[in-house]
Amino acid sequence: MGPQPQPLASPPRSHSRRLRVRGTSITLLRQVRERAEADLGISVDYELLDFPTCQRRAAMEPQGYDVYEQCFHNLDIVWFWGALQPIDINRITEWDNISDLAKLGGISKYAWRGQGDAPVRKLYAQPGGFLGPKPSGYISMLPTVHNMDSFGYDPCVFGVSDSITPSWAWLLDKRAKGRIALVDEPAIGLFDAALAAEAAGELEFADIGNMTIEEINALMALLEDRRRQGYFCGAWRDGDAAAQLVRDGLVAAQSMWSPVYGQIGPQPGSFVEAAPIEGYRAWHGGASLSRHLAGAELDVAYEYLNWWLGGYAGSVMARQGYYIATPERSRPHMSPQEWAYWYDGAPAKSDLLGPAGEWVVRVGARRAGGSYRERASRIAIWNTTMDEYNYATRAWDRFIGRVQSGRIAEEGAA
Amino acid sequence: MIRSANPFAQEPRYELITRVLRSNIQRGMLPEGLVLLEGPIATAMQTSRVPVQAALRQLLTEGLIHRFDGRGYLVGPSGKTTAPLRRDLRDFTLNIPDAVDDALQTRGTWRHVYEQVEQQVAACQIFGEFRIVETELSEYLGVSRTVARDVLARLQERGLIRKSASSHWIAGPLTARTVREKFEMRSIMEPAALRMAAPYIRYGEIEHLLEMMDQGATLTSEWLSDSLVDLCIAQAPNTTLVEMIRSNRLLLSSVSSALTSLGLPNDDETNDQYRTIFDLISRHPIDSAVEYLRDHVQIMARRNLARLKIVAVIHETGAFAPYLVAQ
Repeated sequence: MGPQPQPLASPPRSHSRRLRVRGTSITLLRQVRERAEADLGISVDYELLDFPTCQRRAAMEPQGYDVYEQCFHNLDIVWFWGALQPIDINRITEWDNISDLAKLGGISKYAWRGQGDAPVRKLYAQPGGFLGPKPSGYISMLPTVHNMDSFGYDPCVFGVSDSITPSWAWLLDKRAKGRIALVDEPAIGLFDAALAAEAAGELEFADIGNMTIEEINALMALLEDRRRQGYFCGAWRDGDAAAQLVRDGLVAAQSMWSPVYGQIGPQPGSFVEAAPIEGYRAWHGGASLSRHLAGAELDVAYEYLNWWLGGYAGSVMARQGYYIATPERSRPHMSPQEWAYWYDGAPAKSDLLGPAGEWVVRVGARRAGGSYRERASRIAIWNTTMDEYNYATRAWDRFIGRVQSGRIAEEGAA
Repeated sequence: MIRSANPFAQEPRYELITRVLRSNIQRGMLPEGLVLLEGPIATAMQTSRVPVQAALRQLLTEGLIHRFDGRGYLVGPSGKTTAPLRRDLRDFTLNIPDAVDDALQTRGTWRHVYEQVEQQVAACQIFGEFRIVETELSEYLGVSRTVARDVLARLQERGLIRKSASSHWIAGPLTARTVREKFEMRSIMEPAALRMAAPYIRYGEIEHLLEMMDQGATLTSEWLSDSLVDLCIAQAPNTTLVEMIRSNRLLLSSVSSALTSLGLPNDDETNDQYRTIFDLISRHPIDSAVEYLRDHVQIMARRNLARLKIVAVIHETGAFAPYLVAQ
């Protein structure tokens, strides 16, 4: 970077009114980009990547983006590579309206926080370049979109009766043998598997959010054993691939992301979102500033961050089943029917549209797990970058490699 | 420091050469009048000429060899009129004890190759568990198996490799637990040693170091860390404790430089902390420095654990040295 040009009396703003955003399919939606461009008078370039690739390139190539839209759990990677700069809370207009889930770690003072990387544990910049829960004037990532994830299942296999309570154990259930898939991200899919192993009574973790080497080894050994028995039919890194597995009828239980339910086509009830008895695996997304930003470029980035919490973006997120850190600001951008279904957990009074205008909810349907408060009170664990993340990642990647090559071999034989 | 079962491992090379030549002369393996030249001796001993020169000077003072009107030395005390015997040294069966030969070879080569091997071995552990094949290592380095073994012994001493139940050399995997435990050891031992060391620290040296920092000398955090040990902690009179402290740090420093070599950002944010420690040591009661050191080690532990996490995004290239076999 050359020296910053001297400010002019009337700056030629058009040059700097461009913003490069690196992120994932969670937030890099056309509807969001077009509205931000119109509202702010800027042009926004998106670079959409899968989770691990996004994280790696954000850490190692911070010159390639201005704003990084990802999840709090990977700040342990990107922040410590020195790729980001702290966000000044004084410049965040909606700061006071951001929910307690992000700022305190639970939706109320007494709510259970969940194991692992609750966003508040990575939120504030602390002395020595660390991140932590102690409030300071600077944050690592502006909290925006979030959700409580679970898995999806085929009710023909697991039943539909009200007396049946879904359990993470179903991800290792022999009734789904050969028809199980996991999301391929070691800070996400590994916990789906760990919750399943614990729920099934196979393993017990002292702290599921920070496993020991022995616990990781035991989990990977269990997964490998099931793989050899033919339990897994695949692993995926994006929602399209997950939806395809469902549409092809290949899965009876798999990790799921909320928007995928809207993508799987017009047979409601053929693949159902679980509200697991053990609780959810939650995640919290946000937006961070690249290290290199300064001057007018930094100003544009702050405008964009503030815009994100202003209401419209949150309404788009809601239509794909995600929550926003400033829900009351988004409420006016949603119809009462949308708000009632997505946030209040009430039965849909009409068909509802997704972000791109497709039908995603049929009248009468009710969101699994209920209202925002109910769901947010039942967080078992957050997506997490554990101390042994490097070790776990390499073990996970080897396992996924074997799952994938097994699948390729099958396809070759067919 | 580095130890070896070989009693000669610590002797300077010129002394080893002196030892060999002396015993061969005294036993008559090298006849009186034989012309000794630096070059052929250096070849026979697999060393450079410099230690051979020193050895010959030593033998000269001992009167076992003498100068003559030509290049080199003649075997035998001066004063005798022996005709110079010009023959190839290889014609004589030099008696070189195995232990001395080992020590000489090791001296000659292990230092040249050690650093490279240490870096490769430390770096590979990030990616998992590896077996080190000794024959492949000596072939890869172009050294004898004796030298390869010596390199492995040093790696073992640093805690970078271990012997498996089946007697294979195993490296890795490097885990957060290992790093955490090493730092726990540091936080137990180093503050205790610093307290014991207080009466023995040469405070002028600390003042000098502080002046260097004040004058803006560019000092790396590694250098400052080493200085803290050498000038302060290692002054503790309990040598066993000091040795444990030093060896406990070896793995951490190997890992740190391996991570940097993989492209991780350097951690230079701790220099201010070293300044504070040195300042506390030189100007205040030792208690304050001891407490500060304890905090500092805990912060370093967190920083190192954070560094070990971020290495996860580095792809395995598959290009490990041929002596490293993934398990």
